[in-house]
Amino acid sequence: MRKIVKRFPGVVANCDVDLTIEPGEIHALLGENGAGKSTLMQILYGFHSMDSGSILIDDKPVEIHSPKDAIALGIGMVHQEFMLVRRFSVVENTVLGLKGFNLGEAARRLRSLSNQHHLAIDPFAQVQHLPIGVQQRVEILKLLYRDASLLILDEPTAVLTTHEKEQLFRVLRGLRDQGRSIVIVTHKLQEILELADRVTVMRDGRVVAAVSTRQTSEQELARLMVGRDVNLRTQRVPIERGRAVLRIDGLHVRDEAGQDKVRGLSLDVHAGEIVGIAGVDGNGQSQLAEAIMHLRPAHQGSVFLEDREVTRLTVAQHRALGLSYVPADRRHVGAITEMPVAENAILGSQRKHTRGLFLDRQRIREHAEKLIARFGVRATSISTLAGKLSGGNLQKLILGREILQDRAAMVVEQPTRGLDVGAVESVWLELLRERERGKAILLISAELEELMNLADRIAVMFEGRIVGILDAASVTTEKLGLMISGLSADA
Amino acid sequence: MKLIERRVSPADSPLALATAMIIAVAAAMLVTSLLFTLYGANPLKAYFALFHEPFATWRGFGYTLVRTAPLTLIALGTILSWRSGFGYLGFEGCFVLGAAATTWLALFTAVPSWAFLPLALSLSFTAGAVWAGGVALVRARLGGNEVLISLMTNYVAILILQYLVSGPMRAPGSVPQTALLPRAKWLPFILHGTRAHAGILLALLVTVVVWMLLRKTPLGYELIVSGLNPSAARYGGINVGARLVIAAFCAGGLGAWAGTVEVLGAQHRLMDGISGGVGFTGIIVALLGRLNPLAVIPAAVLYGGMTVGANAMQRRAGIPSSITFILQSLIVLMVLASDIFRRYRVKLS
Repeated sequence: MRKIVKRFPGVVANCDVDLTIEPGEIHALLGENGAGKSTLMQILYGFHSMDSGSILIDDKPVEIHSPKDAIALGIGMVHQEFMLVRRFSVVENTVLGLKGFNLGEAARRLRSLSNQHHLAIDPFAQVQHLPIGVQQRVEILKLLYRDASLLILDEPTAVLTTHEKEQLFRVLRGLRDQGRSIVIVTHKLQEILELADRVTVMRDGRVVAAVSTRQTSEQELARLMVGRDVNLRTQRVPIERGRAVLRIDGLHVRDEAGQDKVRGLSLDVHAGEIVGIAGVDGNGQSQLAEAIMHLRPAHQGSVFLEDREVTRLTVAQHRALGLSYVPADRRHVGAITEMPVAENAILGSQRKHTRGLFLDRQRIREHAEKLIARFGVRATSISTLAGKLSGGNLQKLILGREILQDRAAMVVEQPTRGLDVGAVESVWLELLRERERGKAILLISAELEELMNLADRIAVMFEGRIVGILDAASVTTEKLGLMISGLSADA
Repeated sequence: MKLIERRVSPADSPLALATAMIIAVAAAMLVTSLLFTLYGANPLKAYFALFHEPFATWRGFGYTLVRTAPLTLIALGTILSWRSGFGYLGFEGCFVLGAAATTWLALFTAVPSWAFLPLALSLSFTAGAVWAGGVALVRARLGGNEVLISLMTNYVAILILQYLVSGPMRAPGSVPQTALLPRAKWLPFILHGTRAHAGILLALLVTVVVWMLLRKTPLGYELIVSGLNPSAARYGGINVGARLVIAAFCAGGLGAWAGTVEVLGAQHRLMDGISGGVGFTGIIVALLGRLNPLAVIPAAVLYGGMTVGANAMQRRAGIPSSITFILQSLIVLMVLASDIFRRYRVKLS
């Protein structure tokens, strides 16, 4: 692809982008959210038209106006959200859109392709019964059936378990060894170094580097992608821990099905400290966070905020008494995606931004502008819909909103899930800054590295109970890893 | 170079919206023209008959406004409840209950005349609010489906009305209806030589209030957030159940006011079938105005006018007035479909 330019209203998504993919290589396209890598791939696949530039295949210029053209040229794409009809069988999904086929014949070919590439797929299995990892292999099989020589995979590992990821990598390496070319679009550095042969790094719509993975390192790729040195080794200033701001005492919480998810949990969070809660998802962490905020009733036990019992007070009262909350689900709980940034910036403090009976538009605007400037939220304007922000920017908006409310205590749940390194770094720095300002922070995270970098103490949660509280300074990943799987309960 | 290009995001300027709306109305009229020719009528003449009286004659325009008032109030009630996430469809019921409460106050109590209108409005609003609020409570407390329940409550209310006008409130005579209201209780007529009454002013006032409420107040913000994303609303400290009940109260009250206005301004008595489906047409008007309070006024005038014109058309061009209903429905369909135009642009260069 040569000198590709694509403009969207307000942004240049791709600016003079060159990308060369050799036969028989795995090529990674790396960049932060919004760097233009998806746009580039969508141009190659015919979803978007380019404003200028050219695409050459085997040195011959080609015109790609639609995915149909792309497929005819041997280009195939596996989208992040799979494009499969769930009620159809694998073979029906494969022939969908093709003219003149014979199901039996197609199934035979699928079976031989599947064997040849070790995909282990039964052509007659119904897609809805297949696990995510297998569905992804069905997508790949579809491309092989159409004899694609260039396969594009958009964020292929986002939804996979570790085991499924390894299987995928084996399949991809096998395809490469047969001379096919593979492009993976991703922002995960480790995977690139593990899998890819070469990597093209994009930033703000431009290519900033194209290097061989043998000649680079995680640190260098992170720097290229973000445009500055990224420091994911945080500096925690030792500070005196203050009074207990948030106290949880013998809390029991049930989920929708009436099952006890939190069983007798007690914990103190002091001013000026970050207490981490480590645990595998589904051990009651979400229910704990919701119960602290009283978004979910506590079945037994109590929550104290500044020595005042708040267990059964309303969410609004929790907020008024000094608690803020960054929920794990950014798009469905933390923000109203159909509303502009400005309106999202006042959620929870809408009654304070008033003049007389009415909302004070002027102050809301100032508040929102301050928020996006202070926390580096990249949005075209404060009237951009929150749903159009990338995950990282949306998270900065939510975190910034909760921080600006300046409460004594904060509950933060999975703050960096799905974010790219630049965003992770800024979220971490903000949380540490709040700690230094004397806030009491309860950090619930499934990322051990995050907890070890940020927390003063780490409480390990297993099946609704705290099975041990560790000093973060002396803990190792191995020990934490054992404890969160419930193998060693002694601290 | 392609002549038609897909836009990245749909055009949403007021001009684009208005153009799409006009194209939609024109398309609906074009399709209806075919129906006119089926009846051997000249479409141009038919449309002249349909629109001349309600919009080009003074007296007809007065009737248009009379039809507009209840439509506007019900459309505003729809906007309030729907945007708060409460899919209420029980306006037909609120309308008849409001009308019945007003008639009862006018005929069967001795309220001093200066207190009559305020009392009638409060009583009617309360009746509608309680009627719709009950549905909201079922939804907020027990998680019932408000769409189905509110739809069913319409039939209950209509049966109550039939009982009232054929039993306790019936006037002597062969028709199931009440006596005529004393002239002093009527709403004043506001345009000389027409039947246009002060209910239109009430509708205008409520339009402004609803617009301000939704756009300018914290309560409106909370209602809209509750409607768009209840989980985020709860997380933001908003009591979603309470907001739902508030929205239902206001929606029911406005629906009942539509009944009050119809009784005091237009019919001057209560009778079976008084609503004439306005509780549903009002919802359609709200949809036509895209749930925007200010856009409701032109939509209601258009719909009200067409209702008036339908009879004139039947009289003058011999075309069944029910074709107007087809036209009205086609307009809504076309307007909803017209969104697709806003997703493309025409490239002339």
